[in-house]
Amino acid sequence: MHNPFCDFQSYQYKQSREIPLDRIIQSKRKTMEEIIEGYLKLSEKEVKEMVWLVEHSRIVKAYSAAMETVKNLDYDSDDIEEFCHELDKGGKIPYLISGPAGIYVSALCNNAKEPELHLKLFELKRTFHFLGYRLPEGKSLVLEGSVGDFIGTGLSGGRLVVEGSAGNWTGAGMVKGEIVVREHTGQNTGEWMKGGVIRVGGHIRGIGKSLSGGTIYQRERTVFPDEKDAGSASTSGPTTA
Amino acid sequence: MSNDGQNRDFDSLLRRIWGEVRKKHFYPELARPQADDQLDDSVALEIKSKRIAVNRAFLDEMSRNLPMETVLEALLDHGVTHYTYCPWDFHTHLQLYQEAKRILGDKDMAQKSSDYFMDVVADTHCYKTKDTPLPELYRNLGGGELDQVMQALYQRIWGEDLGAGAEHEEVSRKLSRVPYLDRGSWVESINRFSKIIQVLLEAERDSGELDKPNPMGQSDFSRYSSEELSEGLKEFAMSSGEPGRFREVVGDFEEELSDLGLMSSSGMGEGAGSPLDADLLYYMKLAENYSIPVRKTPLEKSGDQYPYGHTPWEAGKPYRDIDPWTSFGKIMPGVTQIWERREGETHGEEESTPNCIVMIDSSGSMVNPKQYLSYAVLGAACASDAYLRNSASVGVYNFSDVEAGGRRLLDFSRKRRDIYESLCHYFGGGTRLDMTDIETFRDEKGSDVFLITDMQITNLETLIEYLSSMPNRITAVHIGENEHVRRFKTRLQKRSNLSIYSIQKKEDIPRIVLGKVREYLGRV
Repeated sequence: MHNPFCDFQSYQYKQSREIPLDRIIQSKRKTMEEIIEGYLKLSEKEVKEMVWLVEHSRIVKAYSAAMETVKNLDYDSDDIEEFCHELDKGGKIPYLISGPAGIYVSALCNNAKEPELHLKLFELKRTFHFLGYRLPEGKSLVLEGSVGDFIGTGLSGGRLVVEGSAGNWTGAGMVKGEIVVREHTGQNTGEWMKGGVIRVGGHIRGIGKSLSGGTIYQRERTVFPDEKDAGSASTSGPTTA
Repeated sequence: MSNDGQNRDFDSLLRRIWGEVRKKHFYPELARPQADDQLDDSVALEIKSKRIAVNRAFLDEMSRNLPMETVLEALLDHGVTHYTYCPWDFHTHLQLYQEAKRILGDKDMAQKSSDYFMDVVADTHCYKTKDTPLPELYRNLGGGELDQVMQALYQRIWGEDLGAGAEHEEVSRKLSRVPYLDRGSWVESINRFSKIIQVLLEAERDSGELDKPNPMGQSDFSRYSSEELSEGLKEFAMSSGEPGRFREVVGDFEEELSDLGLMSSSGMGEGAGSPLDADLLYYMKLAENYSIPVRKTPLEKSGDQYPYGHTPWEAGKPYRDIDPWTSFGKIMPGVTQIWERREGETHGEEESTPNCIVMIDSSGSMVNPKQYLSYAVLGAACASDAYLRNSASVGVYNFSDVEAGGRRLLDFSRKRRDIYESLCHYFGGGTRLDMTDIETFRDEKGSDVFLITDMQITNLETLIEYLSSMPNRITAVHIGENEHVRRFKTRLQKRSNLSIYSIQKKEDIPRIVLGKVREYLGRV
């Protein structure tokens, strides 16, 4: 009977070859580490006072710090989506503050090379706030799944699509551009809105105060400015549509 | 050349290439491949019961552009790597399918996604670690749009020119970021993989091309041996966490698994039997992961010495105790055996395991076993299996509010299906026992009693009184802690024939010892 082990007397162990996949995965991991490191630095700064309050100056400061960090990173929309999943899993990221996390993701989106970004977030257990913050002109961001509060705040000409529901304060202070929410939005939708369009496919729980411009549609129907305000488009109290 | 001659040539080629492939893959335990003329023309190979079958028509077709040796070697490399690397086992296969189904929500799309994912993993591993002609095969394979995407992906991640065009660059770039060779993140990877190809799969579904076979063969379950299937389901029941998730996957393949004899009460390899509910299969397979010991009935005392067991004979020991039957007629140290006698114990009544009455509470305060993992059903199932393994029979008394008809009795039986059906039945409602029901189970030898409940029983006092008067060995298991449990413990914990255990989590189940009697308090 033939002893199969004899075959290995002359056998040379073949080292596994390096293939492009190894380099792709390695580079992807490095990018993710850099993105996470940037976020951790930002959240360390923001977490000092224990409570993260939504204040205009604070948001602006956090966004500037985030932009400063991400401008040196080389990444694409896949990295941003994976970072959102990392935030959700929490394995490599010890703490998550929804506000700064959303601002950081917005900075990543605004600084990305691609003009069109598509993030699949429908599987996430948590929702992030401030996604689409200051989305600039020429950028389009599609968010699959439901999202948190302050979506599209300060939108600056970009197109933001939410393939789900958005929380309160959607489009707060947006300047120009378009926000499309396929399902519902919460209270204070469009608060302090100066321009642009918000289109909601489902219900709007409440329109915000102090809107000085822009248009809000609910299922093709104009809800701001409403008929009596049409022409003035100044302020309107919270309404339930 | 005649057909016979061609067949002989092909057989010798197959034997030679198989020898080389086996050596390359370190001699996997697979049967020698064979040619198959019955396969769909577009499918290159099929694996059934650990045997690769290569499609002659496909080989002939591919041989127009490539030497037949090359095609054959590439196909065998592909088939063997599925066995040696991915999916490796049935459990991994089910896990990958489950994750794909979770993302895609459709059986056919999930099956296709998991097939392609396993192909990418297996072929990339093979390309990285072995000398293989797989790139040449993929350069000439053709196929639908999804196959072209895979070709573009291989081109990108292997760094070989496979002739893929630029039209799938975007999707192949996204796919190339998945860490296919990181075994620990396969479930996460197939999640990502499925999301990326979802659009393509939906397009195939809409154009009716979803059932078009994968040219590199479909990964159906017939490739596994019956032992692998059984073991895989056991592990899958453990990792699923709850019956719903198990039911969803197993339910999708009910027909295939029935054909393989897995969805039957009679068990593996004993024919189809009667169909088995996925929930029963879940608890059956989950219970197989736990082994609970049963104390056998103790030996009877006697004043005489009786042969108990064998020990080796040594020079100087008396000859009268030699057992000629086990000594082969020889008197030689190391071969000859003598009877060891024990004083005061006899084999008159042999050590055996009595039958067991399993009393399970299925009232409204208990978990519905078809919705969530029920520790009560799992505990009772493990106990039943332990008695069945020891050749005893199990009777089931499933109770809720007996006065309202909430009871189910199964007389002593060794039919696992009947036992599990009785255990998994859920009544809901109140909890009230009728002790006369338990009397109907009593047998001469004194069966053991296994009670599993949360103790929230309306007539708990009556039950306590009844159990106090019972001479049988009783194992009482309570789910959770409450006032009733404390009352039960206070009243009965000093009884030597009654052991009380608590189950708060699955891991508590193996701590149970069935039929335990505390000797230091005296025999009952």
